[in-house]
Amino acid sequence: MPEHLSPTRHGARHGERPFAHVAGTGSMLRLALLNFLLNVLTLSLWRFWAKTRVRRLLWSGTAAWGDHAEYTGRGGELFLGFVVVMVSVFMPILVALTAAQMAVEAGNPWGNAFVLLIQAVAVFLAFAGLYRARRYQLSRTLWRGIRAGQDGEAWRYGLMVLGCGLVNVLSLGWTWPWTEMTLARYRLGNTRFGDERFVCTARARGLYRRFAVMWGVAALVLCLPLVTVLGLYLSGDGILESAEPALLFIIGLLLAGGVVLVLALPYAWYRAAVLRQLVAATRFAGTTFHLDARTAPLLRLGLGNWLIGVLSLGILRPWAALREFRFVCANLSADCEPDWSSVRQSAAAAPRLGEGLAAVFDGAGEF
Amino acid sequence: MTALPGRFNDGRTAASRQVTVTPGTNGLDIRGEDGLMVAFWKTADLRADGELPDGAGVRLRCAADPDARLSLAQAEFIRPLLPKPPRFPWLKLAGTFAGALGVLAALWLGIPAGARALAIMVPSAWEKGWGDTLADELERRWGTCRQPAGDAALQLLAARLGAGIAPDLHLNRLVVVRRTENNALALPGGSVLVFSGLLAQAESSDELAGVLAHEFTHLRLRHPTVAMIRAAGIGMAVMLVTGDASGLAASGAAMAMAGAYSRDDESAADAGAVTLLTQAGIGTQGLAAFFRRLDDGPPGLTGWLSTHPDSRARAQAVETQGGERQAPAATRPALEPEQWAAIKGICGQ
Ligand SMILES: [Zn+2]
Repeated sequence: MPEHLSPTRHGARHGERPFAHVAGTGSMLRLALLNFLLNVLTLSLWRFWAKTRVRRLLWSGTAAWGDHAEYTGRGGELFLGFVVVMVSVFMPILVALTAAQMAVEAGNPWGNAFVLLIQAVAVFLAFAGLYRARRYQLSRTLWRGIRAGQDGEAWRYGLMVLGCGLVNVLSLGWTWPWTEMTLARYRLGNTRFGDERFVCTARARGLYRRFAVMWGVAALVLCLPLVTVLGLYLSGDGILESAEPALLFIIGLLLAGGVVLVLALPYAWYRAAVLRQLVAATRFAGTTFHLDARTAPLLRLGLGNWLIGVLSLGILRPWAALREFRFVCANLSADCEPDWSSVRQSAAAAPRLGEGLAAVFDGAGEF
Repeated sequence: MTALPGRFNDGRTAASRQVTVTPGTNGLDIRGEDGLMVAFWKTADLRADGELPDGAGVRLRCAADPDARLSLAQAEFIRPLLPKPPRFPWLKLAGTFAGALGVLAALWLGIPAGARALAIMVPSAWEKGWGDTLADELERRWGTCRQPAGDAALQLLAARLGAGIAPDLHLNRLVVVRRTENNALALPGGSVLVFSGLLAQAESSDELAGVLAHEFTHLRLRHPTVAMIRAAGIGMAVMLVTGDASGLAASGAAMAMAGAYSRDDESAADAGAVTLLTQAGIGTQGLAAFFRRLDDGPPGLTGWLSTHPDSRARAQAVETQGGERQAPAATRPALEPEQWAAIKGICGQ
């Protein structure tokens, strides 16, 4: 019996699919192109307001149990947060890094240690910033007039990411599923809607079979080109030195594209398990959720979004975000409806300024 | 007027209830399914910024009860009652644009001055360190030409030119490298690399003296260091405005703007070269001749984007300045014929 027809796994138990996304692709494409035009006119300063408009469309198109979500953030908040962080954090780091690099080039023995230290501080700040950005986004997310929110400390999350990164390097990546789930537990476990917290008990157990396959493929795929290049270099024929730089660049680009394509399948296979496990272990007000994330649709979504981003030079990334929202809305189900009358508006204070750090180290995408 | 079905949230809990909404002259009458009044929202208090995408309806707010929401799927009867949604902020956009241009203009004027001020603060040991790293790398990649007689002649010429500016000039390496281009290079911390192509094409020792005087002036004014700091400053400024931490936009802009700034440096170095040559008693016609020979491309094309000013204009400027300050009788050739021959042959045949 094909998997999608099996009633026990996807039928009766997870029958309720309360989420839907109604925003059309046309509206999003129009908005993305308008934003691109205005970004060009304002030397990219429009991007804060652009991001806000994209989010408003993404959020308001998301319906849950018949009511639409709402994004109340403002472009001015993002802009102000960006300026504050630029002046107080980013510029000092950049100046320090430049000075440290100049010291390295001048042969100062302490130079490399300084560069490493500054880079570690930058990674810490980047992820602490992402956590703060998430807090900001959630505090501007409303549904039925009730605000969402996030507790927890940004600096603690930044240190956790730094520690996890260190552990992953030392273990050659083998702790990745464990660190991934640990960080996700912290994020989700500190997420609130109204005064009610999400509960997340996700573990890495059960992920290691898929992870091992992904690790093996990645090691093979990444090692082969490296070994080839190294062999050519050591053989001393001077092939690499004498080759046209443009030709080498094109070959490198093709190789990178090939690596992405080959790695995409095992990565999607692993990612599907992570997402299913994460959602299944997350509860809200007694309701459990189920994400019907499967490898093939996930692969289509990921490769499609990658192509959209690359081919449009990032201009149509809002469309990629819309596809992600649609995917989640179409595949997320709940075992019952929470008792909404017991979920109350929270009095917790919301951050005043925008995303700052995350807008500087912008890795969070278009939404 | 007809009663419309809607969904009402009171903003205190996340519960949602079905209501019927009757638009009246003073506002919206909102009643539960049991017919009891839930709320009355006055027309003046209504806020309409909740138009749902692709005709999914409208979500209303009320100034008197800011957390409450009222959603209506059929909004045709309600829309006429609502205040106009906020217009697109064209004025704000124009303001941002003007502000961005102002910031750019300030940076354009401020970066060269700032780079000069910073260059003075750079420890000379650092400067020498960068220059040595760069020069070692270039020498390794291109290969050098060394012959005792030629080197001695080069040092002699350098000493004669540098006599006028000794305290400022920290020339610690003067090397001929194997490059076919007709060019020479000044690096931070007092290194000058002369390309073998320049020696091959030069018709007199005065030409070489002119080019060296030009490069020594770059060193005296610390142009290589200033240019490095300037490029870093431009990159930083572009990153500040665009927020692009990948450095892609930054390096592109730095390259485009470096050209415009370096043309000022070149003019200053040409003027300084005339002074050095005059002090050393060497004619400036050699430098002018060098520039005239550079000028074989179509005029005007090099113009604004190029890193160097138009060669014909440079030759003319050197001739004018030289003519004002030198009497032809007071000059003698930069090198004796056999010294010049030693330098010409430094790379072998
Ligand atoms: Zn020059």
